[in-house]
Amino acid sequence: MPPIIRFDQVSVTNHEKTLLADISFTLRPGEKAVLCGKSGSGKSSVLRTLLGLHPLKSGRVYFQETLLTPASVQTIRSCTAYIGQEPILGADSVREALLLPFQFKIHRSRQPNETQLIEVLQRLQLPKDILNRDSKRISGGEKQRIALARGLLLDKKLYLLDEVTSALDEDSKQVVFEVFSDPQLTVLSVAHDPEWLKRCDIVFELDAGRLTEVKPNGNT
Amino acid sequence: METLDIKLPQMALLYGLCLLPWLLLRLIGLRLSRDIGIGILRMSIQLALVGIYLKTLFDLNNPWLNGLWILVMLLVADFSILRRAGLKVRYFILATFIAIASSILLSTAYLVILVIQPAHFYDARYIVPLAGMILGNCLQANVIALERFYSALRKNENEYTTFLMLGATRREAVRPYFREAVKAAINPTIAGMATMGLVSLPGMMTGQILGGSEPWLAVKYQIAIMICIFTSSTLAGIINLTLSLKIAFNAYDVLREEVIKKS
Repeated sequence: MPPIIRFDQVSVTNHEKTLLADISFTLRPGEKAVLCGKSGSGKSSVLRTLLGLHPLKSGRVYFQETLLTPASVQTIRSCTAYIGQEPILGADSVREALLLPFQFKIHRSRQPNETQLIEVLQRLQLPKDILNRDSKRISGGEKQRIALARGLLLDKKLYLLDEVTSALDEDSKQVVFEVFSDPQLTVLSVAHDPEWLKRCDIVFELDAGRLTEVKPNGNT
Repeated sequence: METLDIKLPQMALLYGLCLLPWLLLRLIGLRLSRDIGIGILRMSIQLALVGIYLKTLFDLNNPWLNGLWILVMLLVADFSILRRAGLKVRYFILATFIAIASSILLSTAYLVILVIQPAHFYDARYIVPLAGMILGNCLQANVIALERFYSALRKNENEYTTFLMLGATRREAVRPYFREAVKAAINPTIAGMATMGLVSLPGMMTGQILGGSEPWLAVKYQIAIMICIFTSSTLAGIINLTLSLKIAFNAYDVLREEVIKKS
């Protein structure tokens, strides 16, 4: 099966600072990978580079064998769900936040119905009455799960999860782990949680922008 | 009806009126003599120069000279807009020039050729002051539009990036900041129209009445100029922001830091 992501000797700098140095790796459909390393080692930069947010100094990035270029970046973004550590919901109510991406032309024809909204909330163990709540008045953990729910509604090929469980309690973490362990989903994540590391197929170790170790995880 | 001239001794008497606020300011401990002096001197010199060139323009009434003058006004306005909006001139000057020039030319031409219909459309007595008034207001609106838009974008960079990640195109992702910036830019004009005549008598109308025009004629001109100011401010703001989107971002929709002046 062709890889969903391929980094080929990718280097990225920002204001003379090296973010990524000569990184190469691949991720195949259905695989779960996690990027580990100290703060500032370049974990989030890998995710941001794939989404075209950091210009490449050298190397090539491929998504489903399509080269990342200005012409392909929007398609790549539309096939990918990026959920950050401090998600921004970008709307007043939770319902509006969930429906926000469907205002954009690329997703407009796939507007979910009420049943689908409730279903995705249930998958993440969120109550359905949260739909009408003010998005600024929900807890950090709920916000995180709403962002994940929005990603799931979009039914993407690839999920980029940047420390998404940091604001979650133990029970919510388990729910998220279960949801993203689905063999249909491809996940590239940044995480420190030992349990998530155990659940992943591949562990990438980063140090000062270099990929130092790739451990296929024997636990899966 | 002739406007009464203000003769030199009376002008001197007028400057004398400034002594009153100057004394009061000193009394409350504000030492602003230098600033007040410079302000009054600059105003007097600048307006004297305006008087000289306006007289020359009116006397010659040459279409090329009038056009050249409008071009100079446009360029000065463009530099001023970008400097005050905190954007680098070398990147945005062409976009701002196109936006302002097209809006000003359209509204001034519409007003002069279709509405006022003077014997010659290039008549300096009409196009120079009208284009100047429209441009002055358009300048304010464009400073607000650009400044608000780019400061909102920098402040909400993570939100903008989230929109992109959710599949928005650049235009879709900037839409909330774009709308707010346009609203902020035209709000003063809309509020000004809504309170016009109630809060204060507009400057142009007062000028025309003092110049001997009938109040009704002055009212019609004031309405005409306000509609043109509203039209050109809205058009220029939207065109300027739209054109700037092609310059201020890289090919991957990331805001280019180098185009914005460091504050």
